[in-house]
Amino acid sequence: MCRPSRVKRGLAVVLPLSLLLPALAQEGGQLHGNFSTDVQYYNEDSAIGAVVPDQRLGANAWANLIYTHGNFELGGRFESYEPALVGYPAGQQYTGSGVGYRYAKFKQEDLEITVGNFFEQFGQGMIFRSYEERYLGVDNSMDGFQLKYRPYRGVYVKGVFGRQRFGFDDGTVKGVGIVRGLDTEVSLSELLDSAWTCSSNLIIGGSFVSKYQEDRDPLLELPENVGAWALRANLTTPRWNLYTEYAYKINDPNGKNGFIYKPGQALLVNATYSVKGFGASVGAHTFDNMFYQSDRAAPTPFDLNINFLPPLTKQHTYNLPATLYPYATQPNGEVSTQGEVFRKWKKGTALGGKYGTKLAVNYSVAYSLETTQLGAVDDTTQRLGYTTQFFLPGDRMYFQDFNIELRKKVSETWELALTYLNLVYDIDIIQGKPGKPLVYADIVILEGLHNFTDRNSLRFELQYLRSKQDQGNWVTGVAEFTFSPHWFIAAQDQYNYGGSVDVEPTHYPIGSVGYIRGGNRFQMNYGRQRAGIFCVGGVCRQVPAANGLALSITSTF
Amino acid sequence: MRNSRLLPILLPALLVQGCDYVTTPIEAPSGGNNGGEGVMRKVLLEDFTGHQCNNCPGATQTALQLQAVYPEALIVMGIHVINFAEPEAPAGDGFYDTDFRTPAGNDYADQFGVSFLPVGMVSRKEFNSSVLLDDDAWSSAVSAILGEPADFDVWFSLLEHDAGANTVSAELKVAVINPVSGDHNLTVCLTEDHVVDWQLNSQANPPDVPDYDHRHVLRTNLNGSWGDPVVTGSAATGDTLTFTYTDFPVDPAWNPANCALVGYVYNTASYEVMQAAQREFQP
Repeated sequence: MCRPSRVKRGLAVVLPLSLLLPALAQEGGQLHGNFSTDVQYYNEDSAIGAVVPDQRLGANAWANLIYTHGNFELGGRFESYEPALVGYPAGQQYTGSGVGYRYAKFKQEDLEITVGNFFEQFGQGMIFRSYEERYLGVDNSMDGFQLKYRPYRGVYVKGVFGRQRFGFDDGTVKGVGIVRGLDTEVSLSELLDSAWTCSSNLIIGGSFVSKYQEDRDPLLELPENVGAWALRANLTTPRWNLYTEYAYKINDPNGKNGFIYKPGQALLVNATYSVKGFGASVGAHTFDNMFYQSDRAAPTPFDLNINFLPPLTKQHTYNLPATLYPYATQPNGEVSTQGEVFRKWKKGTALGGKYGTKLAVNYSVAYSLETTQLGAVDDTTQRLGYTTQFFLPGDRMYFQDFNIELRKKVSETWELALTYLNLVYDIDIIQGKPGKPLVYADIVILEGLHNFTDRNSLRFELQYLRSKQDQGNWVTGVAEFTFSPHWFIAAQDQYNYGGSVDVEPTHYPIGSVGYIRGGNRFQMNYGRQRAGIFCVGGVCRQVPAANGLALSITSTF
Repeated sequence: MRNSRLLPILLPALLVQGCDYVTTPIEAPSGGNNGGEGVMRKVLLEDFTGHQCNNCPGATQTALQLQAVYPEALIVMGIHVINFAEPEAPAGDGFYDTDFRTPAGNDYADQFGVSFLPVGMVSRKEFNSSVLLDDDAWSSAVSAILGEPADFDVWFSLLEHDAGANTVSAELKVAVINPVSGDHNLTVCLTEDHVVDWQLNSQANPPDVPDYDHRHVLRTNLNGSWGDPVVTGSAATGDTLTFTYTDFPVDPAWNPANCALVGYVYNTASYEVMQAAQREFQP
């Protein structure tokens, strides 16, 4: 008797689904979905150290199908990596084609049940967040079951149970650990109903998560059940939003913390204030030994993360700050704070001028934890790793970012934005480049938008980065013409000329053309992509240098 | 409301069940779990290392700790590879001059894609979807194999070192214990223990250590990088094959008192090492 291959087994799931779903859709349900693919052909380019795989054409593709009928929902995602693009994904490799995600969901009054794969988050995710960030190549979806229940108005209970996605090999490869969790949230304004008379609301929540992994280690007594709990409160008023969450994790020796038995803990506090035309926010957090993976020997920091530690630094979108020196959260230990002020002057005022003016000032800084290493008094003491004082920053600054953005419409057809950033960046810690000195960088960016007509416009960016460390100076130019509603064409060149740093001057030109029609979008790029890092939400992956032709297609229905 | 009233009861129960507090992290030595009836798999730990890899001594320490736990069941081999193992110029100054690399070691590094150190292979078996493992994962990977019944038994029925000619002769026997399908080869290596030479060591101060004790260094292979065929297609229980290696020259720079032969049978498709044996020149 032969066992079907994984591809065949994947098709065995997808084919009946693809035949069944349209039939079901005709019975009164709704079927919708989407498709996207990224294809790249790689050229040799020794000048930039471009990576050329044996198979020069790489392709990632995803297709989602979701069928809903009343309270019932059925969905799946087909994935293909034949082979995956170079440098993708962030963690374990993805190979082959097959079903990477499938689920069925049913809702009966106040109870919602999901079986199969699902994503979920408790609070800010500090002890549990199952999510997908496709272009980062992070997917730690759960495979098991999930219950959501509202036992009383304003009271929400969630329970999760299952194993996480680890990699992809003609289908999802699951990790070895089992994750189970429970979250309860109470919204006082809903719970107390008419007895709650103020315009504010207080939401309090608590959660508990535990992972199980067998201990087969002959040298260490490893905890097989590692629990973590968190408490949170969120006060919202018409002008204020105050949020705080504390998380604690019991002894969790793992490969990322050097197999120490010290408990982990985290605290974050955020406050925002906003009225029309003005907003301000301050926040601070500390993370101490908070890597929490469902496999203690997970190969990379991207694999099997149970939790997510939100960043407290501004996520820049301009090319140079976003891909050269973005900050990546340090789960083993950091103390960070951020403040931001936003002001909009109305048109017709002295500072607002004829069309209004916007100003945003942001500052963030991240430090190491202040720690004291525990010596080898005895094995048990040494295995506790270190001691630390809660929320006390250490001497080492990982990151600092001061940035100010002025955005103004200067005429009926022109809008300009001027941005200045001052960065301090510990490239040794953040990008794992031992011995490299701190990078100090000043960046100035001018962005402009000119509308020729209602349909045709030009957007451009001029970016300049000055640094005496790492790769030295850079300039970048971007020009993007849009011919609405269907076409756009863009050109970009990044030029690394070093300045006071001795580098081989290198251009990284890329040209793009795109076509959008209905739910379909086509984009083609040709040129050089420099090595850098790509970050989403404080999670960063290395992107290798490449030269070639890239095609992206997305379609939704 | 009845269900929600259960929560105060369920939550503490979950909290208690979901946490294992460990007060004594170090496991009491058990002598391994390779007991029981029948022949069990032995494990080959290939520790890829290099004399200019400052974190490699820490990984080797992990390997030796494991070997202390499983003295009979775990065979450790230090394989010096990639740029971290290159001699440092100028040659002849005695400073990182020794080239510990071997053609077989280079072949293994190429085949398995070794690009960073320290890293190792535990019987070349995938653990967490990877054959190359950080030293953090070695102990779990070793214990995952130990205790498995073996398909082969491998032993040295003869090993003679001719001190006059400085050659070694050996006879290995490979017995098929369970029916086996797929091609399998036997590779025989020569290792030398306690080689004192330079090593960069992040745990030492200063980190350049002139008299580091290099352990279980792969010196050469007696039958090439990929060995001799043992099973072609399939083999039935009870088959026993004998492999003889006669008068293999031993480099005069190697200390025979610290040398050993390591033989292992592996699946040529997956490269997984199914059984291994070791015998020292001077037991």
